[in-house]
Amino acid sequence: MVTLKIDIKTLSHTYDIEVLHNLSIQLEGKKAVALLGQSGSGKSTLLRIMAGLEKPTSGEVTINDQAVDDPEYRKAVGFVFQSHNLFPHLTLLDNITLILEKTRGFTKEAAVKCAMSNLEKLKLDDQAHKAPRNVSGGQAQRASIARALSIDPDVIFLDEPTSSLDPILTNDVLNAVEDLRDSGKDFVFATHVMSFVRDFSDYVIFMENGNIIEHGPTEIMDSPKTEAMQSFMAKVR
Amino acid sequence: MNKILSHVLAVLVFVAFMVYVLLQQAAFLDFGRLQGYEWLFVEGIINTIILSFIALVGSMITGFLLFLISKSKFELFRAFDTVFTEIIYGTPLLVMIMIMAFVIGPAFNIYQRAFMGVTGLIVYITPYMKNIFRSAFSSITDEQFMAMDLFGFTSYQKYRYIIVPQVVRILMPPLMNNFSLIIKGSALLNVLSVRELFYAHHIFKSTTYATVVALMTMWVLYILITIPLSQFIRYFERRWSL
Repeated sequence: MVTLKIDIKTLSHTYDIEVLHNLSIQLEGKKAVALLGQSGSGKSTLLRIMAGLEKPTSGEVTINDQAVDDPEYRKAVGFVFQSHNLFPHLTLLDNITLILEKTRGFTKEAAVKCAMSNLEKLKLDDQAHKAPRNVSGGQAQRASIARALSIDPDVIFLDEPTSSLDPILTNDVLNAVEDLRDSGKDFVFATHVMSFVRDFSDYVIFMENGNIIEHGPTEIMDSPKTEAMQSFMAKVR
Repeated sequence: MNKILSHVLAVLVFVAFMVYVLLQQAAFLDFGRLQGYEWLFVEGIINTIILSFIALVGSMITGFLLFLISKSKFELFRAFDTVFTEIIYGTPLLVMIMIMAFVIGPAFNIYQRAFMGVTGLIVYITPYMKNIFRSAFSSITDEQFMAMDLFGFTSYQKYRYIIVPQVVRILMPPLMNNFSLIIKGSALLNVLSVRELFYAHHIFKSTTYATVVALMTMWVLYILITIPLSQFIRYFERRWSL
């Protein structure tokens, strides 16, 4: 079983202004790492860089000893976006099989079989032939998790996967993620749902204004050392 | 009130109005006068459809080129798009057609007025075509492109399986709307003696003096082309929209 190893050295990233300031952090042997912080604290950018979706302006990032711009690494990354981000013209099933057939060299039958088994895991087998616009937001987001799983990634990144969902659908999606605990995958995720962080993560990283302020085992949420994290934890539930 | 009933009533109100109008014009409503001129109108319809189709395809090509120009890295190209679009938006279609046929064409030794008229129509519709290409392509979000990169699609695969299938679906309804605009706009080509539907009505009118019959026949024929087209667009949107 893989356990997650994250190594970030002097990472900075700039869009129009610098959004990540000289971050460094080393972690090993974690299963589920949560990024906490207000909107705009840099969580999404950091996730995208760790997933290899964006190239950092400077610094070095390796995950499980692989550089994030290594094509081999990128092939084994699962990413779940804020809004489901399924291809809207394809059914849930085709969203998965297209990727497996065209970029992973699966035959049609193997692709369908793999896609269906992942959709089943997310309790979506009866929705497989529907288009994203014809299922609920929660189902679409679960389908995008199934899509991320289907390429058999080592690590799955989730970028506030429930921020566009109502509380009931939020539970629906987060319960589905919790059920993946024993899937052998590692998770790095950003979310505003603190109960989920407590239940699911074994490590938290608290960010503010593009800096890592505090990080440690999930328990630090109950007794933050820094003023910034204390004030954040006091405001959220 | 339910939807079908409302529509039936709306149609009835319109029909009642037209019945009143036509009853007032009853003395001039001898559709028998059309006898012997059927072919004139048939030819008019056929030419209207052919010309409109040429203008549709032509303006799709020029509209796509203008879209590419508007997306160019070079400031000069983008400025060209802005200036061109402003000029077209400020020009009535009839004026554009006349200028093309009598000013710009002859300046390049082109005296085929029909050709220059259709060219004018194409030029006129070009910015509108650019707009629909722009909105279709912009509807594919940055996040979708990110997902395509993440999963490792090649450029060809991105276009073949993800971008083009979406763009075509988004493009079709406004494209057909533009086609309808072109069909209606093509009536203006009659000023260049292009033998389209409006011209057919004009010839019929001036030989038979049956003005009301000529106008009503032409109107009905235009509607018979454009309304099924717009109904098809609605159907397409219901069936295929994303």
